[in-house]
Amino acid sequence: MIDKFLYLISEGFRSLWRAKLAGFATVTAIGISTSFIGFGAFIGQDISDLLQLARSQYRLEVFFSPLITDSEANQSVQKIAQIPGVRKSTLVTKQEAAEIFEEEFGENIFELLDENPLPSSCIVKLTTNGNEPLDVRPIIRKIEKIEHVDEVRHQGKLVSTIEKYYQGFFIIMTGVAIVVLFGTVILISNTIRLSIYARRDLIDILKLVGATNQFIRFPFVIEGIVEGVFGAILASAFIYGFVRATNYFLNLFTHYNIHWDFQIVAIMICVIMTFSALGSHRAVRRFLT
Amino acid sequence: MIEFDNVSCTFVKGAGIVDASFNIDKGEFVCVIGPTGAGKTTLLRLIYMDVIPEKGRVIVDKFDSSRIKRRQIPLLRRKVGMVFQEFNLLSDRNVFENVALPLRVIGVPKKEIKDRVNRVLNELEISHRWNHLPSELSGGEQQIVSLARAVVKDPLVILADEPTGNLDPVASYKILTLLEIINENGTAILFATHSYNLVKDRGHRFMDVIDCKVRI
Repeated sequence: MIDKFLYLISEGFRSLWRAKLAGFATVTAIGISTSFIGFGAFIGQDISDLLQLARSQYRLEVFFSPLITDSEANQSVQKIAQIPGVRKSTLVTKQEAAEIFEEEFGENIFELLDENPLPSSCIVKLTTNGNEPLDVRPIIRKIEKIEHVDEVRHQGKLVSTIEKYYQGFFIIMTGVAIVVLFGTVILISNTIRLSIYARRDLIDILKLVGATNQFIRFPFVIEGIVEGVFGAILASAFIYGFVRATNYFLNLFTHYNIHWDFQIVAIMICVIMTFSALGSHRAVRRFLT
Repeated sequence: MIEFDNVSCTFVKGAGIVDASFNIDKGEFVCVIGPTGAGKTTLLRLIYMDVIPEKGRVIVDKFDSSRIKRRQIPLLRRKVGMVFQEFNLLSDRNVFENVALPLRVIGVPKKEIKDRVNRVLNELEISHRWNHLPSELSGGEQQIVSLARAVVKDPLVILADEPTGNLDPVASYKILTLLEIINENGTAILFATHSYNLVKDRGHRFMDVIDCKVRI
């Protein structure tokens, strides 16, 4: 059984070697087209990480009416804490606000104005859920309805804009990935079909000596998978070069680096391998039925 | 072992077999004689079930054409060796690899393949050419390799369809003699030829195929 399996594997490589020119063209085409998916995946992964960081550090500042007492402010903070989507709400009393002022500006507000006009406030941190976009508007609307709330400050617009662009990028990359994967199936299918036509004598003889369809099919499927894997490896090399080059230019202006992620490369190779198997299986099935 | 029961199989252009009924027993040597286009090839194709009869049934060992499933046909062909006028050898593989092919299909272990192929090549006196490509062999040698490929899997029957059609008389007699030696070891042979002179006086059973009719 093992001998038979090894024989079929070697037949796949033999078939690939026999049609090396067509195989080389297929591997190159898959390598170039797949590298687009890879670039997109790496950039998307980095934007996603940045967004998650922005979401986790995102906070609202709620200012209360200057006339309320700390006790009333505390009651409002408790109400804010009960709003769904709020992870934590922390009261900043008038006294604490004065201390922050002194810390940041080096001046005592009482000495400057003889009184403390700073209102008590509340820092609100939100619950974030992985890659889900952050929509703060409903939470802000609920906070604004709470008694004594004077103003809610946030950077929601910036995060929303980034989220919107990221979603657009994600949709485009999904479209590109579908096109490339579909193209991979067609490309592999056509290459294997050429290989089958070139090996019709072998198929006819195999049928005569009692080979099952699976036996005849297997080497061609192996040939398609190997072409797909080589194509994905070539794409990985392109992507590695792209990441290195991009990081070199980024480092001229920032400390930011695109991260090389082996998991993305491994997933890419597995996906291309699967679609290559589908493409070659499709070609052989058509020929044998 | 092989039974034709009122078998008809015709084609649009008119060739084929009509109402054929006969039996072939284990170890028999049967010469199928008839002019080109008479239906000899169809008769052999019916045995290895490359075509299925439109009427009647063909039984080969335990396989019945009226009940056989497509996936069972490879199993039948593992019990039937075939030799054709065109040698049908793989041009990019040497003699050893060509002969080993049916054993690889069955899944015979590597060591056993080596032993069986070498034994058959020795028996057919072609072992000295084991490493040669078909293009480096004469027509007669190529047909011996083709015969070796048919016999290496120890079939119940060898179907030889005009195996001497492309060979000179000396090579033709050699092939016929080799088939007779194989037959002595218990393998049935169906030898289809249009050359009566080649097989007359050899003491075998004859079957005439003329105008799609089989006469015993």
